[in-house]
Amino acid sequence: MIKFSNVSLIYPNSTTTVLEDLNLTIAEGEMVLVIGPTGSGKSSLLRLINGLVPHHTGGILAGDVSVNGISTQLTKPGGMAHLIGIVGQNPANSFVADTVEEELAFGMEALNLPNDVMRKRVEEILDLLSLAALRNRSIATLSGGEQQRVAIGAALVTHPKVLVLDEPTSALDPIAAEEVLSILHRLVHDLGLTVVIAEHKLERVIQFADRIVYINGDGAANVGTPEEILMQSPIAPPIVHLARALGMKEIGVTVREMRRMTSEIREIQNSPVDTPAPKRSEAVISIEKLTVSYENKTALNSVSSTIYAGEIVAVMGRNGAGKSSLLKAVAGVNPAQAGLVSLLGHNPFDLHGKNRRETIGFIPQEPSDLLYGQSVKIECEQADRDNQLAEGTTHAVLQQLVPGLSLSTHPRDLSEGQRLGLALSVVMSSNPSVLILDEPTRGLDYQAKNELTRMLITFASTFGKAVLLATHDVELVAELANRVIFIADGDIVADGSTLDVLLSSPAFAPQVAKVMSPQPWLRVKDVVAAIEGMR
Amino acid sequence: MNKPSLHPFTWWLWAIGLAVAIVRFDSTWFTLSCVGVVMVVVFTLRDDAPWAKSFDWTLKLSAWILAVRTIVGVAIGVPIPGTELFRLPVLPLPSWMPGIRIGGVVTWERLSSSLTEGLLICSIIVIFGAAASLTSPHRLLRVLPVYIYEFAVAVVIATSVLPQLVSSVKRIRMAQRLRGQNTRGFTSWKRVAIPLLEESLARSLDLAAAMDSRGYGVSKKRSRYRPISWRLKDSLVVISAIGLVVIS
Repeated sequence: MIKFSNVSLIYPNSTTTVLEDLNLTIAEGEMVLVIGPTGSGKSSLLRLINGLVPHHTGGILAGDVSVNGISTQLTKPGGMAHLIGIVGQNPANSFVADTVEEELAFGMEALNLPNDVMRKRVEEILDLLSLAALRNRSIATLSGGEQQRVAIGAALVTHPKVLVLDEPTSALDPIAAEEVLSILHRLVHDLGLTVVIAEHKLERVIQFADRIVYINGDGAANVGTPEEILMQSPIAPPIVHLARALGMKEIGVTVREMRRMTSEIREIQNSPVDTPAPKRSEAVISIEKLTVSYENKTALNSVSSTIYAGEIVAVMGRNGAGKSSLLKAVAGVNPAQAGLVSLLGHNPFDLHGKNRRETIGFIPQEPSDLLYGQSVKIECEQADRDNQLAEGTTHAVLQQLVPGLSLSTHPRDLSEGQRLGLALSVVMSSNPSVLILDEPTRGLDYQAKNELTRMLITFASTFGKAVLLATHDVELVAELANRVIFIADGDIVADGSTLDVLLSSPAFAPQVAKVMSPQPWLRVKDVVAAIEGMR
Repeated sequence: MNKPSLHPFTWWLWAIGLAVAIVRFDSTWFTLSCVGVVMVVVFTLRDDAPWAKSFDWTLKLSAWILAVRTIVGVAIGVPIPGTELFRLPVLPLPSWMPGIRIGGVVTWERLSSSLTEGLLICSIIVIFGAAASLTSPHRLLRVLPVYIYEFAVAVVIATSVLPQLVSSVKRIRMAQRLRGQNTRGFTSWKRVAIPLLEESLARSLDLAAAMDSRGYGVSKKRSRYRPISWRLKDSLVVISAIGLVVIS
């Protein structure tokens, strides 16, 4: 169906080749997963399939990419529209209509399909993706998961043979991600659709993939079955790290397989769970009966909680549950409508300038919102000046977080993870008592996530600071947080240690916990510690 | 979206009509009343889509333009004789710039003519700003003929990306306020402008790529899923504007 013959790709003004001499044939009805570090060229590979690269982005392409016998060299992306449906990284940026129905129809209108065909297909897609209830809704009012489903529907409506998705679950909560992926799985099996998908959160997609393309970033690419690739790959889901840590010869990529292989380990009787009771030292953030509402819609409904120094608290919940509202209230974006937020005795809304920087650090969903310098160097110097620090302090922090970053680089040219590191070091240089992060792991690969985890744990435990983060990433929470606040529909429904909260909900349980259930182990190192405790 | 959904061309035709009438009438009172009517229409009819909110910024922009235009018009230019209001110090200019004067006597006539000219420019901006905020760019795309495809893509990107910038500005300013930066004054604009430009460029490219890969412009004929029809109320709105042009 899709054929890459001797494909090499290089962008002008770039010293590294994205792809070098790639040969790959994807058969009809196959589901192929593209993985690799951030910035390695996953998106480029996906966009090569319908010719957006190089027709739309530039770049020098050697070799040939053809889909169903049509070469992208001769045909522009528009000419492939009946054959390929493509869903971009951020569906909200690519919507061209106001309502769900019109968005679905857009592709068919462009292909000049007759009206009765369009009506039939719109109904079909509305049913297939369970969108019927949303048909007349304005797209801007949909949640992230719903928007993602609409984008997939809009791509499928022209009956393409190939569906290409770029990080379809990165902005979604675990349950919405599960919905989207199971729909894709069904399409592959029922309709014989060929699916090519790029994703960082392997734990979510790995069980659906037939083959994996691993892109290294230096032009090399490996193609193989999930087991073959993951055996070696530095990028691997926790389940594979578990298999490696246990010294298993074969690896399983699904929870079911791994449970079969590890039944003896689960038999361990005396599982010594040493969760040291957190030292409730000094209360840093206290929230009392906080209510937040936007235009008559309640986002937070009289919530109360206290966060202590040295704690890393993860705020979890479905899209639109009120996580961001809670973080923004703590950060003092708007004065509280009802209730009280106090940061070390201050009202966060009244903190300004230097005082604010020393009390609270806030990393928004788009870390680049904070950055405006023309180079990393200017950015670091600005932070030094703002906080009256000795020259080079911020750069020293940056060196610890992201070693070896060139000072002359423009922040725009950094990878997602590096940019987050830069924003973090700018914020951390003023040594705030509280650090707040909104969805820090969107678009981060495993390596960048490990770095982030290490940085935040050091920050919280060594310096006794509080960290509050909102995230959908269960695996990150398992590694990082020592307390979880779970929000549903504006109420705090659970607030307790990470272990208790994550184990009590199957959808939000990390992979290791699913494999090892009913043992209370969340991370690979918990399992290893328990086994060593036996010996 | 359930407010009276007029044809996407309606408000644009109406705006063109009003603009022509304003220029032909060339009367301050007529201009002012037109702007007043436009504002009432926008504030009662707009919904809460991102492009609708952009009207507030249109107003701010035109007020700013009016202020700058008046100050420049009063301070620089040919003196008009009449009632003297006050006197500015005259800035000495080199002899190779004859006929240009900075400062000097400010007369009532000079002030009022600057104001009238500024007002004319601003009223046109407000009127087209109103059309942009009352019309969904997405619906506009659906009625534009395919043979002006490149133009249509540009129009849609401009009209849908620019209003979204307004919400991006809010978001970026919030983030920077939380970094403890001053978000008022001129220098803060540089800080907002850079992330903003980056984002709008990325958005525009995304949208163009999405339209391209969904086959927009490939077929010269385009079918209509739910045709947008021209109705009586559209005609009424447009006739009201044509009427003004005729009277003028």
